[in-house]
Amino acid sequence: MISVREVHKSFGRVRAVRGVSFDLEPGRVAGLLGPNGAGKSTTIRMITGFLPPDRGGIEVCGHDTISRSLEARRQIGYLPESAPLYTEMSVQGYLDHRARLWRMPRADRRRAIDRCIDRCELRTVRRRRVGHLSKGFRQRVGLAAAMLHDPKVLILDEPSNGLDPTQIVHTRRLVRDLAEGRTVLVSSHILAEVERTCDRVIVIAGGEVRADGPPADLSRGRVKPACVVEFKAASPAWLERVAPDASVTLTSLPDSWTRARIEGAGDIREPLAAAASTAGVPLRELHLESTSLERLFIDLIESAP
Amino acid sequence: MPLPLTIAAREYAALFRLPVGWIVIALYLFLSGVVFLVGSLAPGSAATLRTFFGVSTFLLLPVCPAITMRLLADELRSGTMESLMTAPVPDLAIVLGKYLAAVAFLTTMLVPTLALPAILFYASDPPPDIGPIAAGYLSLILTGCLYLALGTLASALTSSQTLAFLGTFMTILAILLVSSVAADQVPQPWGDALRSLSISARVTDFARGVIDSAHIVFFLSASAFVLMLTHVAVESRRWR
Repeated sequence: MISVREVHKSFGRVRAVRGVSFDLEPGRVAGLLGPNGAGKSTTIRMITGFLPPDRGGIEVCGHDTISRSLEARRQIGYLPESAPLYTEMSVQGYLDHRARLWRMPRADRRRAIDRCIDRCELRTVRRRRVGHLSKGFRQRVGLAAAMLHDPKVLILDEPSNGLDPTQIVHTRRLVRDLAEGRTVLVSSHILAEVERTCDRVIVIAGGEVRADGPPADLSRGRVKPACVVEFKAASPAWLERVAPDASVTLTSLPDSWTRARIEGAGDIREPLAAAASTAGVPLRELHLESTSLERLFIDLIESAP
Repeated sequence: MPLPLTIAAREYAALFRLPVGWIVIALYLFLSGVVFLVGSLAPGSAATLRTFFGVSTFLLLPVCPAITMRLLADELRSGTMESLMTAPVPDLAIVLGKYLAAVAFLTTMLVPTLALPAILFYASDPPPDIGPIAAGYLSLILTGCLYLALGTLASALTSSQTLAFLGTFMTILAILLVSSVAADQVPQPWGDALRSLSISARVTDFARGVIDSAHIVFFLSASAFVLMLTHVAVESRRWR
């Protein structure tokens, strides 16, 4: 459905995207994850045909986004970042205008607008001016506009921006539902969102793909479990007896407490507790740090050149 | 509906949903009404609309940039240009749609002024000559078309409405000055070349009731050329 091949894009001296490649298949939600300025929006803008790549090529449903731009754009439903809309129009008027741009016949237009208004829960505001809506509602109007023509490819740039927690949950569910039979690409800098919504995560940093795969596979083998312990003792010697070869990071805390992060020794919570008890060292916290995507994400972006 | 008309319909409605459209119309009608009262309806004055058309052509100088300043600049500022340019709409349709909306707005603005010749017909004896009046309106619309095309181009080059307004205003002023004052100061054949671009000389011909097809071709082809440049300006956003 979407094929991105060795794509490069620079703005003056800034190399925003450097050799990004990936293929996206239908029926899956893929997440483009990265910090601000990583090259996510530039990559998305190239896929939607808004920007041309300097090098490389992009195909959407078999159509090159440059040489067959109109055909490619016809397949895409796109929600740009911060959902820009015509604020002087009503919700219904705006959706009708967008449907006309896709040259939908009148009957189809009406059905599509009703369907999208229902799916995005916009019934109560359908006659209100877009400019008078909250940010959350505007985001949903943008999402409804992207879905109107029932596109084969749905691209959402930061779809949860400005939404309250209830709306975020609803949007996640909607995005998952929309993936049925189509390709969905969601960009976000929020880990939790990508982790919960996407079947596949493409981590992008410094304009390059740093990791690509299902969330669970990405963290497997890359993140070493670490034990975190907070203790009160003058010396960490008791720790070294339990895990002599481990990498220990010590942080001083108020009131003579110390936090130790022990990597490379696996789950040693039980021996640690026993050693602390034997040495008479008071403990107030002992846990195994979760091997989350968050850790992987931080490692990946910190390793950027 | 063809795509340029879809875009034009939205843009035309937007001009009436925003205060700027109503302010432009109100000011134009007020000023043209005053000019009509003083220049054509005063006792003893000739039964022509020559003063009205002269002042109206001058009024187009601020009116046209005010109509066009938001056309593309506002799309660029608000980010809606991204939604528009990623829809299956050719760039030329975007430019034509925006321009057609501006022309339709200008034409709508002129419709109420048709009351002025009607009053003149009612109040004057003998009635005024219809030729110069028809030519005057044609001149206003053709001049407006060229000014609006220049405004659409300026609006495509910046995301600032103020810059778009000033850019259009200054460009029109420069064309008017260069083709009249400067043309007298430079040696031949440059003087003649500059005079051939003169808008005011053509407007004067129309005001005399002369409808010269060469003048019509000049305004239409100049507008088309500027719109072509606007198309390039919009399309170039995809090359950057």
